[in-house]
Amino acid sequence: MTASATPRRRRFAPYLAAARLAARDQTTGWAEAVGRAAFLAVLLFIFSSLWQHVPMSGAAADPRRLLWYLAITEWVFLSVPSIHLTLERDVRTGDVAYRLPRPVSYLGMRVAEAFGVALVRLAILGVVAAGLAFALSGGLPPAPASLLLALPLGVLAVLLGTLAQAAVGATAPWVDDVSPIYWIWQKAAFVLGGLIVPLHLYPDWLRTAVAWTPFAVLLNGPARTAFAPSTADVLETAGLLVLWVVLVGALARAIHHRGLRALGVHGG
Amino acid sequence: MPPALHVTRLSKTFRVRERRPGFVGALKGLFSRPSHDVRAVEDVTFTIERGERVAFVGPNGAGKSTTIKMLTGILHPTSGTAEVLGFVPWAQRRELAYRIGTVFGQRSQLWWHLPPTDTFELLRVVYDQDRAPHAARRDRLVDAFQLGDLVHRPVKTLSLGERMRFEIVASLLHAPDVLLLDEPTIGLDVVAKSVIRDLVRERSTQDGATVLLASHDTGDMEAVCDRVLVIHDGRLLLDRPVGELRRTYLRRKVVTLATAEPRVDVRLPGVTVREASPHRTVLEVDTATTPVEAVIQAALAATRLEDLTVEDPPMEEIVKAIYASAGRVAPAAGSAR
Repeated sequence: MTASATPRRRRFAPYLAAARLAARDQTTGWAEAVGRAAFLAVLLFIFSSLWQHVPMSGAAADPRRLLWYLAITEWVFLSVPSIHLTLERDVRTGDVAYRLPRPVSYLGMRVAEAFGVALVRLAILGVVAAGLAFALSGGLPPAPASLLLALPLGVLAVLLGTLAQAAVGATAPWVDDVSPIYWIWQKAAFVLGGLIVPLHLYPDWLRTAVAWTPFAVLLNGPARTAFAPSTADVLETAGLLVLWVVLVGALARAIHHRGLRALGVHGG
Repeated sequence: MPPALHVTRLSKTFRVRERRPGFVGALKGLFSRPSHDVRAVEDVTFTIERGERVAFVGPNGAGKSTTIKMLTGILHPTSGTAEVLGFVPWAQRRELAYRIGTVFGQRSQLWWHLPPTDTFELLRVVYDQDRAPHAARRDRLVDAFQLGDLVHRPVKTLSLGERMRFEIVASLLHAPDVLLLDEPTIGLDVVAKSVIRDLVRERSTQDGATVLLASHDTGDMEAVCDRVLVIHDGRLLLDRPVGELRRTYLRRKVVTLATAEPRVDVRLPGVTVREASPHRTVLEVDTATTPVEAVIQAALAATRLEDLTVEDPPMEEIVKAIYASAGRVAPAAGSAR
């Protein structure tokens, strides 16, 4: 049966199956989950101690809210799998040869697998991050119900991060090592995405410039729920996340398709 | 009905960028890097009918894998055409994927931490197969490959030979019409190689699948295939029935004896000494004159054997013999590139 003759529901079935299998595979590696959780704990402990000694005032810089904000940005950031390294390894080792001659999209399957891994990480790290933020900040932030909105926004943000890193990994047929490109992406996400400090504390000119990039919603988007945003703000964030998911997904796909021809340069 | 594979003047040239040595060279490389072309496959033409089992042999770097990768649609050729079951692989890769199975030695499609059954289930969904017929075929293949006891063990706990058998099962699950095998026995011990060769031959006979088996090991060719394509330096050198190649170019065996005594003297017609060092003697045997068994009996009569290996001559020597029989000299490896 060819792809064009396959009903839409069954066309998506391989990607769902790949995500499920990857999620199952992820649950076999508890050591990695413990390592990530420990890293998150150390980070939140350091910043909670720091913010207790930095004079800040007002709701926009409330230490409790800032700690919840950091817990959410780190929760998202640590949940994104290293799909760029997987794609690089497939090209370098030649494993791509096994995965390309299949009646499904190679990139689509890799993204689906990464997203399956991400969902498991989101669940584990979500519990750890919420528990630590509660314990270290001494309770929930004001208007805690808005924190629940971080869940769907976090899932969308992790999908965006996964696709962005897939775009980085898709350059592997041209470059032997995708790490330098990932390094630029990662540092830009740290600084322009407001990993530690919320974007509303940035200077106006920088906040305006960043608003035109995916970084504005990648980390700051879900984490701003710690500051009880309005419904309109949340809907705008969700809309922007969906928009960037589509755009970055299309970019990753375009790079991958160009890369398939360049694959020959490296001998397959 | 189109043939299983039809390849016409297929060529593939890679452009390889060079790196200059040293720090200054690395700095220069930021601005300009010289490159040169490598002709991996050149004007290769052949046709394989449905149900044929064909070996694609040649030394390492001959162009076998590059050709296989073009036939699976992974690589685009520089020139020439190819059709697999009437599909152009690089233009119709996904449509073709339903009809072909691939095995790449030392690569894996199995999930490392999970049992092979999990990968099989994923492949069922990928190839859009109904549950019941898939399960029946999976169980038949698992039985045929004698893997019933291992099917629920995580892949990481399997030996290389066991894993390769699962890899082949995974490639056969969707009942492909054409099986493309690239060095499926590489790195395996003698027993595991024999098992895999027998199973591939058996399955292709039962399913009627066409087999193209790329290998640098002439044992794969002899055990599985009826016809052989010899490739060297990207060019097709020979297209013959395996029996004819065996009679013409595979008459010789290399017998290595590790002996208790420092020297052993085996004087038989058609047997020459290739190397002799204390406790180790390498003999070349013309099997048309003297069978290998006679050589072993003579050695046993002369000394106590501590170890014994019987091998085909390396592929490079066979290629040289093919060139010699055509009155030509084999070019040095890579010279055609």
